[in-house]
Amino acid sequence: MIPDGEKTLERQGPEMLYEIPSDWDANIVAFACHYCAFAAADLAGVMRLSYAPNVKIVRLPCTGKLDHIYVLRAFERGIDGVFVAG
Amino acid sequence: MTKISPGQEKKDRVGAVLVVGAGIGGMQAALDLAGSGLLVHLLNDEPSIGGTMSRLDKTFPTGDCAMCMISPRMVESSRHPNIKMHTLASVTKVSGEEGNFTVTILEKARYVDADRCTGCGACEGECPTKVSNFFNQGLDKRKAIYALFPQAVPNTRAIDAAHCLFLTKGVCRKCEKACDANAINFDDTDKEYELKVGSIILTPGAKTYDPGIRQELGYGRLKNVVTSLQFERLLSASGPCGGTVERPSDGSHPKRLAWIQCVGSRNAHNANPWCSSVCCMYAAKQSIIAKEHDPEVDATVFYMELRAFGKDFDKYIDKAKNSGVRYVRSMISEIVEDPQTKNLLIHSVDEEGRLIHEEYDMVILSIGFEPRENADGFARIFGIDTDSYGFAKTSKLEPVATSRPGVYVAGTYQGPKDIPETVIQGSGSAAKAMALLGESRGSEIEEVVLPDERDITGEEPKIGVIVCHCGVNIAGTVDVKRVAEAAATQPGVSHTETIIYACAPDGQQKIRDLIKEKGLNRVVVASCTPRTHAPLFQDTIREVGLNKFLFELADIREQCSWCHMADKEKATTKAIEIVNMNVAKTRLLDPVSSKSVGVTHDALVIGGGIAGMTASLSLAEQGYGVHLVEREGSLGGLLKNVRHNLEGDDVQAFLTETKARVEENEKITVHLGTTVDNTDGFVGNFETTLADGSKFTHGAILVASGGTEYVPTEYGYGQSGQVMTQRELESWLAANSPKASDRFVMIQCVGSREEPTNYCSRICCQDALKNSIAIKERMPDAQVTVLYRDLRAYGLKEDYYKKARDLGVLFFLYTPDRKPEVISEGEALRVRFDGKVLGREMEIEADYAVLSTGLRPQEDAQKLSQTYKLTRNSDGYFMEAHVKLRPVDFASEGLFLAGLAHAPKNLEETVSQALAAAGRAGTLLSHESLTVSGIIAKHNRDICMSCLACFRICPFGSPFIDEDGRVSHNEVKCAGCGLCAGICPAKAFQVNCFRDDQILAMIDSVTTLAEHQDQGSENT
Repeated sequence: MIPDGEKTLERQGPEMLYEIPSDWDANIVAFACHYCAFAAADLAGVMRLSYAPNVKIVRLPCTGKLDHIYVLRAFERGIDGVFVAG
Repeated sequence: MTKISPGQEKKDRVGAVLVVGAGIGGMQAALDLAGSGLLVHLLNDEPSIGGTMSRLDKTFPTGDCAMCMISPRMVESSRHPNIKMHTLASVTKVSGEEGNFTVTILEKARYVDADRCTGCGACEGECPTKVSNFFNQGLDKRKAIYALFPQAVPNTRAIDAAHCLFLTKGVCRKCEKACDANAINFDDTDKEYELKVGSIILTPGAKTYDPGIRQELGYGRLKNVVTSLQFERLLSASGPCGGTVERPSDGSHPKRLAWIQCVGSRNAHNANPWCSSVCCMYAAKQSIIAKEHDPEVDATVFYMELRAFGKDFDKYIDKAKNSGVRYVRSMISEIVEDPQTKNLLIHSVDEEGRLIHEEYDMVILSIGFEPRENADGFARIFGIDTDSYGFAKTSKLEPVATSRPGVYVAGTYQGPKDIPETVIQGSGSAAKAMALLGESRGSEIEEVVLPDERDITGEEPKIGVIVCHCGVNIAGTVDVKRVAEAAATQPGVSHTETIIYACAPDGQQKIRDLIKEKGLNRVVVASCTPRTHAPLFQDTIREVGLNKFLFELADIREQCSWCHMADKEKATTKAIEIVNMNVAKTRLLDPVSSKSVGVTHDALVIGGGIAGMTASLSLAEQGYGVHLVEREGSLGGLLKNVRHNLEGDDVQAFLTETKARVEENEKITVHLGTTVDNTDGFVGNFETTLADGSKFTHGAILVASGGTEYVPTEYGYGQSGQVMTQRELESWLAANSPKASDRFVMIQCVGSREEPTNYCSRICCQDALKNSIAIKERMPDAQVTVLYRDLRAYGLKEDYYKKARDLGVLFFLYTPDRKPEVISEGEALRVRFDGKVLGREMEIEADYAVLSTGLRPQEDAQKLSQTYKLTRNSDGYFMEAHVKLRPVDFASEGLFLAGLAHAPKNLEETVSQALAAAGRAGTLLSHESLTVSGIIAKHNRDICMSCLACFRICPFGSPFIDEDGRVSHNEVKCAGCGLCAGICPAKAFQVNCFRDDQILAMIDSVTTLAEHQDQGSENT
């Protein structure tokens, strides 16, 4: 059992790096424009290009539709990466 | 669509049009015609539509991917209810006449049932036969069962009967076994059938020159010599090497690239005499893109003349030069291969006359256009005349009309031209057909009757989730059962199901049945991409009374199973996440009602020059009323000063006749000596007040406000009667005869192609050729000298350049850093310039110095741009909505553009563009009402602070300042991009189907706040 004080100190250290477990996958959400980036993701499939499966695409009518709150909400809820493409 | 009835005689005409050739020009014509309520038969001899543009990698000046631009057009063409596609089809016979043709079509067997084929490509994997890939210009192989290219439309394979083992030798049938959809049909046969149409538009395109004929350039013999079209495929991400340029001999990345211009063009001896118009610009584009791919690339372009004659073309050449592309003016006579390295040696002559030997890794031959194969036979089928080269013959004054009434032409079949000019002619020919068949609009098309929409107000979400196997395409990688089970646990989901093929007719029936049986009020289909398939399923649910916006398509094929085949477990997890995200969004979907607004069937045309008059006449012929506003006291514009065009047509007679037709036409109200004071309203419903007080309503606005001629200050113009402009020379020649002793020196690019007016005025080279030929034909002994920078006799105008040289006109090059000098000495002039060929200064005596002056934007363009919120380029010309694909539209709905207001152009091009603008406007005006798209931004005035952020950012001008001084939103103009929603600090804008709560629900679905905190404490 670690005392609360110590725990807080440890977690505050900016250089504190945790070892990444070997089975860990980054959770990534992508915001893609319907007309270009989303179409590009489709083309990747048509061409059977392979990439890591840990990215989920949210389709937007245009990347200009992207709101700060989408990005903030994603990070707030622990997303590891946000990819905006358009 | 509306039927406007000027007369009875047009009643018997068939309200259908045959469009032969489904490249970008054919698709444009088809979409315009279909949009105006005519039935279109769109014919293509290949298994997919798309034409030449589908083979291009990117387009200049934006560097946009050509496929990304053309693909939505292809999908739109295939889905338009008024367009019937006929692929692998050609016309064998045409009988009848204008308004009533009978056409015999031969449609080759596809051997694949397009209704069953899902485009999965399983068959291709099994097919043992490899065939040279025609689409990739022979750079790689395809199978005997194939799709022309990955984005092919229709998205279905075809069997190449000439190479299929079963069809040639009676063995194999592997594709049949591989196809779970039972789409292979070896019993398919060629079909011949007749169609009744009122008009025919020919857009079959052209082919490219085969450089193998010129053995000295080594094409076909030297591996690393490729054509420019092959290089497009090498650059393309969907090309044979996935977008990393590899040279054919060893697959290495070439660093030293050379382009050789005019291969097969401008050479009457063993190639084609004409200029192909597009090669200078595509070479610049390819060199820029090659350098973008690999910054270490050294690009050299060997050229004869830089023909960058179009809008903003010179700026693009400057961009190429500034990015390090080297331009060498030299004709290349031979390419030699180093047998060891397969590198290529080019000998050229530099400007000092020295022989230079240089080594390159790869050489690209800039091949040009030539008429399609069997051009004569093709023309004979349609009963039209061709020119001596085999291009469709048209008058320069009626550029889209063939010799046979009711048969029109667009694109490269009428002569070499680029994408925007092809699109312009596509819309222009559509305008001609619409004028011919205006009365029969709507007569051949079927209206779909739908049941009333079910009111779901107050109902809890009852979502049905249908997970598609897509044969093995999804189910082979993703465990679809688990996906359905996981979806069933989500709140709001009341039914889940897996279907082998959701898009097949039986699959869709199943969805309709489920909605009725289970009382579903929202549907998620997890299958392929919403870009192509969402409209299909939306129609399906609408057919049983569900609002079509109560639907989401979860893409688990293109964006999951096809990309993650190696890890089925993770692919399944991702598919579950994708489906759940969409379920989370669907729960919050609301029905969207599409409002509609009426349309006033009149147009306002601003400018009474030839563009405005041509457009007005076309609109009137189509059946619409026109208000033609001209600031001057008479019609005619700049054409009043032109007597003949380069080709010798009597321009004044044409102008007089056109004016008379405008003045006599009852549908056209001419407002002379006045300008637009103010226009209110929006697309379909404008109200305009003129400076003279008259007021009228209209549905469309066509800006044809023209340009002005530059009045030079250079070379002593105005100080001596011996220094004149080309236009003045033309008038002088009408009143005087040149004497044998007369000496004329023409100076090109006066006031053009240098700061502050650094653009090509396009018409001046043609003017110089026209006047010099006129002088020499009337007085062969008169001396004519032309001092030029690049003689831009593009397309078939090259004939006149040759004619002028044959007549003895002398052409000397000058460069802008050493401009000619004109010295006035009593009776005579002396003109001094740098003789590039001799390498020494030359001086010639002259009686007349003729300045080839260019064009300028109209002075009141600034005011018009403010009135209508229209953007202009840096030279002051109006900007079209899209350089390539929307050349006569403005970004704002209901506004169209033609003539010199857009950019400098000649009479023929102006007439084409005016017809195109009239066609585009006519398509709009044909509607009784305009339905507002469902995906638009909704504005909540209650929380809006009127900060004007939306007003500033909206490209379509839909937010506006209302009478109460606060922001309102015009939904008719809204395109649904959501820029307003993104920027609005109060969140007063929400886009239907992309509301913030819906997007946040998707984000929340793939993230879990609680779980993250748990993990955080575990780590400590």
